[in-house]
Amino acid sequence: MLTWLKSLEWRREFNGWARSDGVTWIYIFKVLIAAFLTYWVALRLELPQPRTAMITVFIVMQPQSGHVFAKSFYRFIGTLIGSAVMVLLMALFPQNSELFLASLSIWLGICAAGAARYRNFRAYGFVLAGYTAAMTGLPALAHPDSSFMAAVWRVMEISLGIVCSTLVSAVILPQTSSAAMRNALYQRFGVFARFVVDGLRGINEQATVESGNVRFIADAIGLEGLRAVTVFEDPHMRRRNGRLNRLNSEFMAITTRFNALHQLLERLRSREPQNLVTAIEPGLDTLAQLLEDFAGRALTNADAALLAERLAAYKADFPERVRSLRARLMETSPSDGDLLDFHTAYELLYRFVDDLHDYAQTHASLADHNHAREKWDEPFIPKTNWMAAAASGIRAAFIVALLGAYWIATAWPSGAIMTLVSAATVALSTTTPNPRRLSFQMACGTFLGAILGFIETFFVFPLIDGFPLLCLALTPVFILGAFQVSRPQWAGYGLGLLIFFGIGSVPDNLTVYNPYVFINEYIGMVIGMLICAAAGAIILPPNSRWMWRRLEDDLRRQIPFAISAPLRGLGSRFESSTRDLMHQAYGLSAGQTQVQRNLLRWMFVVLEIGHAIIELRREQSVLPVHPCYAESQPWRQAIRAMGRSLMRLFIQPDASNLERSLSAVDHAITCVQNTDEPFARHFDTSALRRVQSYLHFIRTSLLDPQSPLAAYAPQPQPQGLVHAS
Amino acid sequence: MPREIAFHGLYMPTVTVLFLIAAVLAWALDRVLSGLDLYRFFWHPALLRLSLFTCIFGALALTIYR
Repeated sequence: MLTWLKSLEWRREFNGWARSDGVTWIYIFKVLIAAFLTYWVALRLELPQPRTAMITVFIVMQPQSGHVFAKSFYRFIGTLIGSAVMVLLMALFPQNSELFLASLSIWLGICAAGAARYRNFRAYGFVLAGYTAAMTGLPALAHPDSSFMAAVWRVMEISLGIVCSTLVSAVILPQTSSAAMRNALYQRFGVFARFVVDGLRGINEQATVESGNVRFIADAIGLEGLRAVTVFEDPHMRRRNGRLNRLNSEFMAITTRFNALHQLLERLRSREPQNLVTAIEPGLDTLAQLLEDFAGRALTNADAALLAERLAAYKADFPERVRSLRARLMETSPSDGDLLDFHTAYELLYRFVDDLHDYAQTHASLADHNHAREKWDEPFIPKTNWMAAAASGIRAAFIVALLGAYWIATAWPSGAIMTLVSAATVALSTTTPNPRRLSFQMACGTFLGAILGFIETFFVFPLIDGFPLLCLALTPVFILGAFQVSRPQWAGYGLGLLIFFGIGSVPDNLTVYNPYVFINEYIGMVIGMLICAAAGAIILPPNSRWMWRRLEDDLRRQIPFAISAPLRGLGSRFESSTRDLMHQAYGLSAGQTQVQRNLLRWMFVVLEIGHAIIELRREQSVLPVHPCYAESQPWRQAIRAMGRSLMRLFIQPDASNLERSLSAVDHAITCVQNTDEPFARHFDTSALRRVQSYLHFIRTSLLDPQSPLAAYAPQPQPQGLVHAS
Repeated sequence: MPREIAFHGLYMPTVTVLFLIAAVLAWALDRVLSGLDLYRFFWHPALLRLSLFTCIFGALALTIYR
């Protein structure tokens, strides 16, 4: 018995380790296997630069196999394009290195801008297309006749590295991205359900609401990234691609819905008297009880089916429950405004439950191999500010042009490698929110690589003989580098160490011992990177005020987009691009809590109002044919006028535009109220009552004291002195 | 079959071409298997895919080096 207990404890400890640090060690182990396999094959095939193949392994290897496939795929394409461009440039300017360097820096600028524009794995293709041209072109500048063969060899070496690393990561102890994605998907709903339950009961603090929302945004974007990657990895997930897309889109919709409902409830709760809240709360409580069973734990496909069933039952009882609650409210003879608030709250609650039901159904459908829900044509649309892309393009082109000019002017023999390394560093750092930090970390990593490389090359390699001993000598450095790469906060150090130790110190078939060139090249590399770090801090740094302003502006311009864009697929487009903008802005303003809070508040307003506008547009597009719904009716004209005033308000928020919007919304509400409808004004049958609810919701959002628009709101107490004079 | 193929004056081993052909065949087979949802019967789909590719490539290469 005792031994059994002991073994149990041991086993639990081991499992805990295997799930945390174990994953890192498996990753390091796989990196080593892939690197040495590639190195051995490259030496064996007598490729001119086995180190290029090995560096490919370091760059491509990721803990999860899906990422490796995606990165490999784009690396291969990028390398092909980059090599082709280099050969073309070489053919155009074989005798003229100034023109060659100028056009190379323009090409790098274009690629860096492209990489900043497409921020996922496609960005990596751009990065590669840029720096492959520099990597193959600059060393071949002295003898242009060899450039074509250099390009061919490089493509070969990179293909070898890609083949070996995909093979190792897929076959040996695979950590699949699809498992990670499934896990993230299951966990996310548990967290969200807890958030909803607490929100409905009114016990969420403002800070919890904010951090919860930031988390859901990051989840939505992370899941989209994983989905794009698993397509490469797993046929099982590829069959579910449409549903995963849909699930993410529906999740964004329910978070927005819930935020809207939550904001409305908060406004009502903070208001005296509380009779309205007591009238609304019984309906909320039943939903909170329903979700309580699912809160805080992973939602499997079977759980999702159960949830869908319960929500369907809840929905079926909903109209009856609302009627009885409304009857009870009517006994207290509420004002018109209170009644409107009551209707709006239940409209939002009903839509929320409806969307939640859809989400649960889609989630449950993941269990089937084929499903009708697979048909979904509203993809996740990322959105990037073109200024950010242009800034990184300009930075890259400027650095390469500057260092190239320095190289030509001084004819420093190591200038080529300095230019080349700065091109690689600036390209790699465009995809991070903080290019200065990554470049600086890489410079430190390279410096460490230089020291280790010097020791290895001049004190260890002369003593050893044969491939196994060489591997043993290289292993400690690679373990250190791979360990750093696996920790996000040190990734730059690891990357610098692995790549530039590889470039400078891994021997080819014919080893050359030349300390003078060795030291000079490493000095060139470190200087190149330090200049990249300096340029990242000086030339249009993305993590500074001008960029946040731009992104805040873009965030606001989502409202004109929601008002004027074609309606088809608009919901997902609006939700995903707003979140994507927010996510970027949040990353770029890391450490600036005031800026982040401000951005978050704008996002809430934009999402709430934008969503209500889209609902209004949808509602209007499916109206039945009847004179009271005609385009020329005053209420429809009033809504159009409101749309125009909201556009003005969000393009240029100020007091007079806010006042105009508020009066336009009020006017629209009055017009809707004065329109006669042929059907009874019941909650589930009357289109106009839904329209009125959304209009009322827009009005409360505009008046919300928490929103950033409150700064432009008319002061509650008139400033008598100013008016008197 | 010839052991080398001339491609615009560039000699390359026939196995290189066969490698690409085998990759295309393996990809097609993979589509069929996943379309019929047959991968759920296997323990390690990635290993299966690699093995299938090795078999296809080996069989093709045998037609040259035998």
